[in-house]
Amino acid sequence: MNELDFLKQYSPTPNTWDEMFSSSSDIRAPYQKVIDYLSTESAESLTKKEELAKNLFMSQGITFTVYNSGEGVEKIFPFDIIPRIITAQDWNFIEIGIKQRLKALNTFLKDIYSNMFIVKDGIVPADIIYSCPHFLREMYNVKVPHDIYVHIAGIDLIRDFDGTYYVLEDNLRTPSGVSYMLENREITKRLFPDLLPQCKVRSVTQYPEILYKNLMAISPRQISHPTIVLLSPGSYNSAYFEHTTLARLMGVELVEGRDLLVENHKVYMKTTNGRQQVDVIYRRVDDEYLDPLVFNPDSILGVAGIMSAYKKGNVAIVNAVGNGVADDKAIYSYVPQMIKYYLNEEPLLKNVPTFQLGNKEEKEYVFSNIQNMVVKRTNGSGGYGMLMGHVATDEEIHDYQAEINKDPRQFIAQPTISLSAAPCFINKALHPRRIDLRPFALCGPDGIEIVPGGLTRVALKEGSLVVNSSQGGGSKDTWVLAS
Amino acid sequence: MLSRVASNLYWLSRYLERSDGILRILKINYASSQDALHEFSWRPLIQIYHSPNEEIINKIEFNSRDVLQYMITGRDNPNSIINIITLARENARSVQDHLTKDLWQCLNEYYHLVKDKRLIATLKKGDPVSVLDELIKQVMLYYGIAEVTMERGEGRSFMNIGKYLERSIQSTDILDVKFKTANSDPDLLTGTSYLRYLLLSLGAYDLYLKTYRQGFDPENVLELVVLNNDFPRSVMYSVNNIHRYFERLKHNKDIIESKELSFMIGRLQSTIKYSTVASITNRGLHPYLSQVKKDLFGIGNALDLNYFAYA
Repeated sequence: MNELDFLKQYSPTPNTWDEMFSSSSDIRAPYQKVIDYLSTESAESLTKKEELAKNLFMSQGITFTVYNSGEGVEKIFPFDIIPRIITAQDWNFIEIGIKQRLKALNTFLKDIYSNMFIVKDGIVPADIIYSCPHFLREMYNVKVPHDIYVHIAGIDLIRDFDGTYYVLEDNLRTPSGVSYMLENREITKRLFPDLLPQCKVRSVTQYPEILYKNLMAISPRQISHPTIVLLSPGSYNSAYFEHTTLARLMGVELVEGRDLLVENHKVYMKTTNGRQQVDVIYRRVDDEYLDPLVFNPDSILGVAGIMSAYKKGNVAIVNAVGNGVADDKAIYSYVPQMIKYYLNEEPLLKNVPTFQLGNKEEKEYVFSNIQNMVVKRTNGSGGYGMLMGHVATDEEIHDYQAEINKDPRQFIAQPTISLSAAPCFINKALHPRRIDLRPFALCGPDGIEIVPGGLTRVALKEGSLVVNSSQGGGSKDTWVLAS
Repeated sequence: MLSRVASNLYWLSRYLERSDGILRILKINYASSQDALHEFSWRPLIQIYHSPNEEIINKIEFNSRDVLQYMITGRDNPNSIINIITLARENARSVQDHLTKDLWQCLNEYYHLVKDKRLIATLKKGDPVSVLDELIKQVMLYYGIAEVTMERGEGRSFMNIGKYLERSIQSTDILDVKFKTANSDPDLLTGTSYLRYLLLSLGAYDLYLKTYRQGFDPENVLELVVLNNDFPRSVMYSVNNIHRYFERLKHNKDIIESKELSFMIGRLQSTIKYSTVASITNRGLHPYLSQVKKDLFGIGNALDLNYFAYA
């Protein structure tokens, strides 16, 4: 009965892969149960569910604070109640694809900070490495436990119009969003009772245990209870909720830079019972703020001397310092070659074709096709400083080109990928919105594990292709089905 | 436990206890204001928690609704409920992993409740008692959740030290201010209602009736509020609990600073324990209470210096 209201009105975006509908009337099989469930509900009752979700986020303090006019305003990260589903088959492909990619990227980091074989063999040009601001000479020949650099990775995937998965970017520094993967699932359990088991959705709750196990395993001191801490920039950070959630779920101490001190190349935390040596630091502070003695001298978020303790092997830092050289957008285009070079395998997950503006010919090609291009800064993130060729005005393009010409190495361009769309419940009806997917991979001495799920980010503005939360993005619960 | 965490838990707890005390005293004073034959002045109460300039007090002292708004939602009053709970929540926010999820959720709800538009509207126009009741209920919920869910560890000890320190300071303050007012206007003590409301605002009314079974006598009130160890808001009971929870920490730190604090707490405990109503009145109530307060502040400062100084 209500199916009329919801589904007949829904019109998928043309030339776009719609996750739920294969045509305007055909529902993809994995979504059938969800649609059956939704069709027993009215738009009003779904709106109530939406309200419930908002209240749950609010009362649990799953918020970030926007400071303006002197008073903090609590905001929630917008959540769309309709889940996004990934089939067992697709997931299997994603899983082995990401494992392959991470194996190569981790080997690349070890190589870059030791022998540089990949440069000597001419696979990756030296100037790309040396001009990368995240390439840290301080890390040269530093031995990291078990040779693991990338302990936690969030690889962003998108789907083109035919449903093919592409890697949009590799996040190998401090990828965030995993708490939303966990909380979205908890909220969905409340919104749609019994639906998860009926659909055979795989659980994501094991994430903190796996992470904790890996952190324990890399402790430099071989003791039964190493001290593990999560280093946060503090409660004004927009991801602070995530830091507290992870610390709580793992039962580790949540510390700030001011809680730690370094003496004799060892890291200690200041407790009511004197000093306590710290063995493993899961840091959510960027490299440049980590140690004022080595990096940004004005940083008060970090700990003076922590790099010396790290280099001596007295403390393990997660993720390793200097990883930015591997997820730099200019390096990104060499990842397929890396996979061939280090693993002698064909890459499974595709790269989005990428043009290096540092290369003259490619720059000219991009400039003459700028309407079909997305231009990004190689060290940018959060969806800032991008040029979307298909919507930009001539003036914007002109200004941006001037900016590029100042330092072409700092820019890359990619053809506009349309991004798949999924139905979202907005204003009491279903509307298509563009989405991406960030699964979270954990690497430890036992290998790489990927929790079946991830963060599906949604561009909530109509027609928008930018899913970043700083640009009006939201999220969905992400269901991976058991086969 | 991290020093910063200990400090945050301690302050979180002090702020919550303070908000509880303020809400209760507001509720009773409001009832008393509705009962008053003469104009009811809120001046002494405002001065217990905050000393704004004369201009503000003169403007609002006879208007119950203005005072309630000033004390609950007043942004320019550092000890208004909204400012206190904001601070409490900020303290809790950065130590969330040391609180249970239930407790954090409860604090959040408290915070959102004080900012609730419906509640603010009722405070302006409706029945203020229902607003106060709703807020008091939220604090009760906090105490219940803390009691039932919090680990019996160091964190809770710091929280309880904060709670009882704040409580003893409040009881001392209220007694001091109320008796000072009565001294300057002895007629107040001849009627029963002044002491009755004083007891009510400390939650001591029922216990007083059970203990003394006769009319209201200032010396009995003094005995109950300062010396009675069975009354949970008495100074004696609070200081005994500061001692109790401090001793639970002590085994961690057998160093000079810890011994010094232990000595300070023990001395205050003995001073009260070996006081009688007669010895207090002999010395003068005000000087006596001032000394107690000074000792309590001293304990607070020593905690700050020896346990929380992490910067």
